[in-house]
Parts: sequence; C-alpha cells; structure tokens
Amino acid sequence: MLDWTDYLFYLVFLSQVFVLSYYFPNKLLDRMRYVLETYPPSMYPKLYPKPLEYYKMGQWGFKWVTRCILVLGFVILYAVIFLVDHATFADDGYISEFWPALYGVIQFAPLMVLEFSEFSQFKLMRKANTATTRTAPLRRRRLSDFVSPMLVAIAVLLYIMFILFDLYVHDFVFDWGHDTLQRVAVITVTNLLVGGVGAWQLYGRKQNPHQGLDDRNKQIAAALTSILYVSMAMSIFFMTQVADDVIDMNFLDATLISLYFQVVAFLSLGTNLRSLKLENIDFDVYKNGTAAT
Amino acid sequence: MEIITDIDDPQPLFAQLIAQIKQAVLAGQVSPGDPLPSIRQLANDLELNSKTVAKAYRLLERDSIVQTRGYRGTFVHPDALANSTVDLTAWVVGKLSETIAAFRESGVTDSEIRIAFGNVMNDRRSGA
Repeated sequence: MLDWTDYLFYLVFLSQVFVLSYYFPNKLLDRMRYVLETYPPSMYPKLYPKPLEYYKMGQWGFKWVTRCILVLGFVILYAVIFLVDHATFADDGYISEFWPALYGVIQFAPLMVLEFSEFSQFKLMRKANTATTRTAPLRRRRLSDFVSPMLVAIAVLLYIMFILFDLYVHDFVFDWGHDTLQRVAVITVTNLLVGGVGAWQLYGRKQNPHQGLDDRNKQIAAALTSILYVSMAMSIFFMTQVADDVIDMNFLDATLISLYFQVVAFLSLGTNLRSLKLENIDFDVYKNGTAAT
Repeated sequence: MEIITDIDDPQPLFAQLIAQIKQAVLAGQVSPGDPLPSIRQLANDLELNSKTVAKAYRLLERDSIVQTRGYRGTFVHPDALANSTVDLTAWVVGKLSETIAAFRESGVTDSEIRIAFGNVMNDRRSGA
C-alpha cells in the first residue's frame, strides 16, 4: 500500500531526474553554445586547440547522453512505482536507496567526463602556447583570500560534530567492523581528497595558460567555496544516516539520498556556474597576439 | 605586482626573479614584513623548476632582502629597501677589474690570469 513517504520519494526523485539530467546539462549546453557563437575560432583561436567540429561533436554527444539518462530516469521511476516489489527487494520493505544512488552516479558520469575533458583541453592549450613570457603575482595565495574563515570553521565544526554525534549515538564504541568507524573513515578520506583538490587549486600549476590573474582568482574562489559546501553537506547527510539508527527513519533513506545528490549538484556545479559568469570572464586573452600570462 | 619571466631573455631566470623582486622592493610595491609566494607557488605559476626559484630566494636571503621564517614561509626583510640598492655583482666586477688591472701592470698576461683564476675557482692551488 502506498503511503505519503512513497509519494514524497516519487516527487524528490522526479526532481533529481530533472535537476541532474535536464536543468544543469541545459545550463552547460547554453554556455557551450554561447561561447561558440560569441567567441568563434576565427577571432579567438587560442581557445580552440582542436578543430571546431570536435567541440560541436562533444556538445552533441553531451546533449544526447544526458537526454538518454533523462529518459532512463523516467524508466526507473516507472519501475519503482509499478514493477519493483519493494517487500522482497529490500529487507525493510521500503523503497531502496539503491535506485536514487545508482541513478545519481549515472547522472554525474557525463558531468565528470566534461570536467576531465577540460583538463585535456588545457593540456593542448599549454602545448600550443608558444609565448616565451610567464607572469605570476608576487603575493602569497592564502585560503582566507578566497573563502571566508567562517565558512572553513563551519565545515570543520560540522565534521567534528558528525564524529561526536556518531560516537555519542553508538555509546562511543569505535572498533573495527563497526559502522561508526566505517562512516568516519569514509568522510575523513573524502574530506582529505577534496581538501587535496582545494590545495591543488590554491598552490598547484595553472591549468589554463592564457587565463588572467582575476579570472584565476575567481575560479579558485568558486572551487574552494563549492568544496567547503560539499563537505558541509556530506557531514549533514552522514548525521542523518546516524540519526537513522536511533529514530527509525528507514522509510526516508531513498528520499534523503536523492535529495543529497541534488544538494551536492547545486552546491558544486551551481556554485561554479553562479560564480563564473561568462560575461565576467576575459576572453580577449584567447585572441591572437595576446601574450600568455 | 606581477613577476614576468622570459625564457628568451639572455639573463638567467633566477637573475630575472632577483632583479624584479628588488625592483618591487625599491618601488614600494612590497613592504618589509610582506609575505612572498612560496617556492612551489611561484615555480608553478611561472612554470619554472622549483630549484630555480629556491636559488633566487637563497641569494635574496643572503643579501638580506628576504627572510625565511621556517614553516611560516618567506617574507620581505625589514632592511630590504636599503639592501636592495646594494649590487653584489657590480661590487665583484669592480674588485676584479681593480685586481686584473694591477696584474696587467705587473706584466702578467691575460692567459696567465685566466688560468690562475680558473685554478683558484676550482680550488686547486689556493687550498681555500
């Protein structure tokens, strides 16, 4: 029998389908289209280390992969509503979190591919860069130049709160094979990984050889802010998982994980799109005769 | 303030860094106590080997233009402004010119001076 939690999941999952496979892909496609039309290879040759057809093909591929994933989302929703027997599929009889989690991973895949293709694009740009001069600010980059120390403090505090909350709920049992240790290990390793990405953004090699100092600073600020937001969201999500052990919330597991994927998308991709508006980026550096920085 | 390096410039890269940091100090673009970028940051930004930046910082530290405070990083030295006007290279060239002139006056040939200079620099004769 369907109850309100099932309807809530359908609604949240529908939102996941729309947000990750329609809303954000469309935003990205609009940006790609805008760049190709406003900054053509004839005037901005340094922006295109490969022929124009390659970028149009990539754009076409991204569009159709995300459209197929959108359709897959509706298929999964149909299966969850009409075909899957939840009583046998999951031990507790509720809608399994497997569905939104699996679909979320599939939805993020083309976005990740797009991110990685950016690295190979920058690599080609560096290879094609014949400028003999390089510039660098005579100023030390510090975390506090790009993100508010309060935001960093909140992220650290939430991480510590999650660990203490988990230990408190499980009577400070912290041994091998116990859920607490696994959760703490997962969140710590993930935080270390995203922290490493942040440090790389801050101190690492400049990927885009033509990017100006202002644009680079904006990009670092956007990346660090989204990393901190994601870390905070992760701590809160894990706290809900711990709370699950005390107040029986199994019926909400699938809804929460679907919500989590959407929150992560808004905090990472959304923050980047909001902070790095195309009209504020200096594209003149991609014109011929402009010295690389 | 931005540092600009040019690989086509006949001046070595570390010397370009030293000259521009001194210029920045003299122009007041950096003040005593200001933090300077870490070796890794500057090397990454300029696409240089970190040893090149380290060499420049080491020579600037020797000349008391920058100071390294352990893990806290490198800062502009309190006496950087006064010390930036001192050009050790010019001083060495001046001293050598005087000495070489004295040798020539004594009848020592240029090739003898070169050999002796090479020996001293290679630590063969002087035992220094």
